[in-house]
Amino acid sequence: MNLIKTDDTDHRLITQFKKGSVEAMEKIVKRYEESLFNFGLRMCGQMQDAEDIMQDTFLNAFKGLENFREETKLRNWLFRIAAHACLRKRRKKKFQPDRELPLDSFLPREGADVKFEIPDLSSDPAKELLRSELKQVIDDAVRSLPPKYKLVFNLRDMEGFSTEETAEMLGISLQSVKTRLHRARLYLRESISNHYKDDGGHA
Amino acid sequence: MHKECKKYFGKISQYLDGELDAQSCEKIRQHLLACPECRHCVDSLRKTIDICRNMPKEKIPEEIRKNLLQTLRDAFSDKFNPKS
Repeated sequence: MNLIKTDDTDHRLITQFKKGSVEAMEKIVKRYEESLFNFGLRMCGQMQDAEDIMQDTFLNAFKGLENFREETKLRNWLFRIAAHACLRKRRKKKFQPDRELPLDSFLPREGADVKFEIPDLSSDPAKELLRSELKQVIDDAVRSLPPKYKLVFNLRDMEGFSTEETAEMLGISLQSVKTRLHRARLYLRESISNHYKDDGGHA
Repeated sequence: MHKECKKYFGKISQYLDGELDAQSCEKIRQHLLACPECRHCVDSLRKTIDICRNMPKEKIPEEIRKNLLQTLRDAFSDKFNPKS
């Protein structure tokens, strides 16, 4: 029974790397460096930290590749390593305290008429400045998420892993993934909307 | 927020992600037809998810790319150039 879950390209590159091909290693890096770098940046907020995360991930991945049986996709395996690298970095630096986001905190107050101002993305070149501002607003909002919610949000919404994949990578339950994702999204909606409301609704 | 709205509030993400069973999904769908506040809630959450997902990625600075490759080549030099 074929248990290999990596795609054909990754499988070929892994096989070549195991035989000593530096080109295969470089191709694997090229396939995943941008995603891993951006993941590290969204998790940690600083270029240096993103570089550390990416480097640690690849170092650990290539060290462990001899024993990698390809029962999961290479991408999933790399991001599992990256997620744990982020958690280790956080434990060392303690740069963001843990806090809970209770669901009740997002419920509108009784009688309140709540409207969320979420800007429309447009391909209009004249709105380049607005898109640039929006990117900063989103980046700041994601960065300010408490770590456990940020991790799930980044894996699910930004990297496109499924609920099952995310649960497996982080060693948490499916329900925990769903709960954390929902609260992360509510938090981000509020954060982004508050910026544009405070800004006089320029969006 | 009405009691019924609160009941569905915690499930909106699962609804948007298609992770609810058919019966729950239909209940929410019917509720949305009748409740403009919840429709706004769902629409604004969907918009939030979309704009986040569509943000452009940062390019890796060339210096960082070069450092990474060199670090990896050095770390695995024995593998690529085995001593005879």
